[in-house]
Amino acid sequence: MATPIVVNNLTKRYDTAVALAGISFDVQPGEIMGFLGPNGAGKTTTMRILTGMLAPTEGSVCIDGIDVGDDSLAVRRRIGYLPEHISLYPELRVQEYLEYRAHIKGVPRSDRRACLQEAIAQCDIADVSRKLIGRLSRGYRQRVALADCLLARPKILILDEPTVGLDPHQIRQTRELITRLGQQATILLSTHILPEVEMICHRVAIINQGRIVAVDSPAHLRQRLQGARVIRTQLKGEASAVEAALRQLPGVARVQLTGQTDGYAAFDLEVANGGDIREAIFRLAVEQRFGLRELSQAQATLEDVFIQLTTKE
Amino acid sequence: MGNLIALTQRELKSFFYSPIAYVAGALFLLLQGFVFWLLVLVMVDPRADPGLSMAQYFFGGTFFFWFAVLLIAPLLTMRTFSEEKRTGSIELLLTAPVTDAQVVLAKFLGAWLAYVVFWLSTLIFFFVLRRFSAFDWMPVATGYLGTWLLGAVLIAVGVLASSLTRNQVIAAVLSFVAILLLFSVGLLDIFIRDPEASKLINYLSLMEHLRDFSKGFLDTRPVVFYLSLTAICLFLTGRIIGSPRWRS
Repeated sequence: MATPIVVNNLTKRYDTAVALAGISFDVQPGEIMGFLGPNGAGKTTTMRILTGMLAPTEGSVCIDGIDVGDDSLAVRRRIGYLPEHISLYPELRVQEYLEYRAHIKGVPRSDRRACLQEAIAQCDIADVSRKLIGRLSRGYRQRVALADCLLARPKILILDEPTVGLDPHQIRQTRELITRLGQQATILLSTHILPEVEMICHRVAIINQGRIVAVDSPAHLRQRLQGARVIRTQLKGEASAVEAALRQLPGVARVQLTGQTDGYAAFDLEVANGGDIREAIFRLAVEQRFGLRELSQAQATLEDVFIQLTTKE
Repeated sequence: MGNLIALTQRELKSFFYSPIAYVAGALFLLLQGFVFWLLVLVMVDPRADPGLSMAQYFFGGTFFFWFAVLLIAPLLTMRTFSEEKRTGSIELLLTAPVTDAQVVLAKFLGAWLAYVVFWLSTLIFFFVLRRFSAFDWMPVATGYLGTWLLGAVLIAVGVLASSLTRNQVIAAVLSFVAILLLFSVGLLDIFIRDPEASKLINYLSLMEHLRDFSKGFLDTRPVVFYLSLTAICLFLTGRIIGSPRWRS
């Protein structure tokens, strides 16, 4: 099986604003991937591009090995999509609506009844299946939309804020359902609630202002956030030699070469336990005669996002 | 094809589930019934020209006909795309594995079939008339055909207008104005002296073509004219609906 979702350097620019500034990530088979970010970070835009509703300015998206730009229909056949703002036809009955959706999703006639029953059972909406959609509560409507999403038994689910606007009990039910669905399908779900990601996702991509800030497992992310601090420095000298010297400093957990310009090598250093080793770097530079051009504590974007996410629920 | 049927069914269901369908249908029948009654009244007058046929007046021969047709198309189509855009249900429609052409065609067919049904119900009038007086069915048949083809054009214009905005009222006004302009082209003939230009105007005149239909003539030129206008409007609608999908 091809990688279910591959997003490569996705950029979306509008006349005045940049919604996505080149994001890349992938989702592996069977994974529940969280797409975490504050409101307005670009989550919905990304999902609309993924589902073929919107064309990116640059970059590409491959779903199950198919480029969305090349064959949007084939992609749409392979995914189940739950939009952020759920709007169904209020004048139809639940059963009627789902039959219609199964039909246009190409579920064969002989299979339609079984698919319908299965989706209705999974989302626990049997008791409202004869009701008008317009009469349903918000929570039920959400579940009908989710059932719609499952109708054609897609292997890839894209869920945009699946728990937003639900009451705590419904939120718990929906999360359990998503976890169950994760056993049969690959799921990409967006949310702005951090605990949700920790509860149900295997991996998480954090997005802020149209950029991916980090991709990692929730446990690792927490570790990185609690312990590490990033120090950015530019030193003149042989990059590998400088890097080796930096690694020797006490408390340095990770050294990453981020660029080289006119003889200077730029590094991001992660320091365990959040220690500040800027003075140590300065002394190193003096001792080893590396020219020092920049020494700063990096704007911890990840941390900023994290704070935004944890303080708002 | 299966998708198109399912989508069209959905359109028709949503239309006929709403009370608007029945209110509009009742008013339409009332108006047409009144016109028919008036026409019968005129024709039974012994001074009336015996050469006159009912179809000739009923289809396009009165002010009421044009009033009903020009008004009904915007009413039937104003919801098609704007409502889905406003509520956001278009998102689920456009992410379903159906082509833009199917979506547009289904919207069109939904409104047009409703229009056809409205007109079909006036067929009763002719059956009633038949009991009292003999007449030729041919002009009636071509009259209906012409009316339906004309409706196709106007409804396609309405669907196009609806795809341009998320506001139903704006969609209705837009299509009404567009339809009125289209209708008025034929009226320009009065001001034109040049015979060649006059020919062109006549070819573009919705009214002129319907006059032929209601006399029982079945000419392919107006059929082609009506169908191509419809196709152009629907093609443009498809472009508008699909454009966010394309790379700039």
